[in-house]
Amino acid sequence: MFAKRFKPSRALGHLVLLGVGLVLLYPLIFMIMAGFFTKQEFTSSVIHAFPVPKEPTLDNFKALLAGSTDAAVTVYFRNSVLRTAYNTFWAILTSFLGGYVFARLRFKGRDQLFLLLLATQMIPTTIAIIPTYLEFARFPFFGGNHVFTGGKGILDTWWVYLIGGPGINIMGTFLVKQSLEKVPIELDEAAKSDGAGTFRLLFQILFPLQLPIMAFIAITTALGTWNDFITPFFYTNSDSLQTLPSAITRLSSVMASPGAVINYPMIITLSLGVTIPALLIFFFFQKYIVQGLANTGIKG
Amino acid sequence: MNRDGKTMTTAAAMPNAPVGRQPQHLWKRFRTRHRDAMLAAVILIPMIVFWLLLSGFPTLFGFLLGFFRWVGLADSPAFIGFDNFVHFFKDPVYTGALWRSIWLGGLVTGVTLLSGFGAALLMNMPLKGKGVYRSIWYIPAVTSTVATTQIFNLFLDTNNGVINNFLKSIGKEPIVWQYSVGWGIFWIVVYSVWKGVGGAALLWLAGLQSVDHNLYEAAEVDGAGTWAKLRNVTIPGLKPIATYIFITSLISAIQIYEQVLFITNGGPYGKTEVLVFRIYRDGFWDFNLGMAGASSLVMAAIVIVITVFYYGWATRSDRRTTIPVKTLGRGG
Repeated sequence: MFAKRFKPSRALGHLVLLGVGLVLLYPLIFMIMAGFFTKQEFTSSVIHAFPVPKEPTLDNFKALLAGSTDAAVTVYFRNSVLRTAYNTFWAILTSFLGGYVFARLRFKGRDQLFLLLLATQMIPTTIAIIPTYLEFARFPFFGGNHVFTGGKGILDTWWVYLIGGPGINIMGTFLVKQSLEKVPIELDEAAKSDGAGTFRLLFQILFPLQLPIMAFIAITTALGTWNDFITPFFYTNSDSLQTLPSAITRLSSVMASPGAVINYPMIITLSLGVTIPALLIFFFFQKYIVQGLANTGIKG
Repeated sequence: MNRDGKTMTTAAAMPNAPVGRQPQHLWKRFRTRHRDAMLAAVILIPMIVFWLLLSGFPTLFGFLLGFFRWVGLADSPAFIGFDNFVHFFKDPVYTGALWRSIWLGGLVTGVTLLSGFGAALLMNMPLKGKGVYRSIWYIPAVTSTVATTQIFNLFLDTNNGVINNFLKSIGKEPIVWQYSVGWGIFWIVVYSVWKGVGGAALLWLAGLQSVDHNLYEAAEVDGAGTWAKLRNVTIPGLKPIATYIFITSLISAIQIYEQVLFITNGGPYGKTEVLVFRIYRDGFWDFNLGMAGASSLVMAAIVIVITVFYYGWATRSDRRTTIPVKTLGRGG
């Protein structure tokens, strides 16, 4: 298939793709190299483009593992993992059930309802950040509130993370709906006449057919939640509720008073903690990401 | 199909219905006839209630916020009609941020899409290991913005930053990046392109592969070279997809603010503020909730106008009918 003779255009292709690719990877390479520094050496030495530590240490990586010496980092890590698992679980469930409802069930106003939900997706999410804060603060009967005011509502509690989970994932629903519509309805009918109930039809017959699109929804949700700093940063305050990204945010210059020294060694440790798992997820499931990205829009 | 079966059963059962068991029978008939609707209700209602709690209601509330004066959480909101919007378009802080959002978004979109297109053309060649290149280029997109902007900040640190250390080592004066609007914008664009170019290349690649292969063969028969094929087959064939990619990228690029927050924090003197960053500042630092609401509404209006125009174009030209949407699975 490949021509044996040397083609300059292909050599140029390799050169550019690899060369620029390495430039794109450079910040991550830098992050990993900086991870081998001890705190003292990193703050006291002059940092070069390719920092090589004199006394390499694994302490920063060890701090990320469970049962490490740095209890705070362990908590951030655990919170990140729990939040990601929780949101991913619900994204899969709500997308699949929502997709089934809008693709297969017939009821009055179905298409209108779906269009309405889809239309809300063009409204920028930013508009909701502050109202969500107010809603959480005034959540009835929680956190010392009588009806609407009085206490701090559900701000700075686990409810902040839990409340959104069961909500319908509209983009996921859209993708599952599209994908289910390609599955012939005769399959449902055959399953039903063989005595399968709705539950069985859903989870034993239709769900396995949707695995690629479900994987895409799961991975994008997992990465989105894993990297999300907004929810923990804006709606929680306790140290025990922070995730890796929000912990970095709190150490960054955004929160530092002017002129304060930024704790970069700690930031690097946490950054490694948030980046490495994301890269692992990507490497294991990249097939689905590439497929899914193409599915979301690019089809003739 | 499903329904036909059901209508038949009900029709068949109807005449034989014993009069005495009418209520139960009615319920049965109701159940069979509305089985789908009931199942849909059982599934959808809880999901939509929770969605309303976290998205629907706050969004609606956000729209209303713009029409109130509400400074400080303890303040009681006062309805002031369109005053916030009048203020928005009079105050250079807001118009400046709005204008910056638009041109910065356009700049980021342009640079990202052009470089992504170049990369996609190369990735579309029959190269060995092109899958590896595709992955490498996409990696920045899966990293956390908070974490990677901090690495950029390490490069840009005034005293011990990588770039300034390099400048010092070749005998040049170090640059205080944070004092310069131009450099601030420059690094925001560099960061955004760094993060977006791989995704753009993947989208373009999917587009390139959807162009009809027969057209290339026909062009080759006519003696077209690489450049002529690109100009006469690839680019026209990509037009609908290109529009889709451009619109979705532009919509997300005019809303960038995380990199602004972490790289320049709006400085110096608010000269790198974009509108969404302004919303964040108003809401969480100045507690000017009314203005934050009004700014959100202006941003939402821009996005909706772009979307509706695009949607109209796409339906009219009978091309793509997907509403450009934000990325999946953010937050919440």
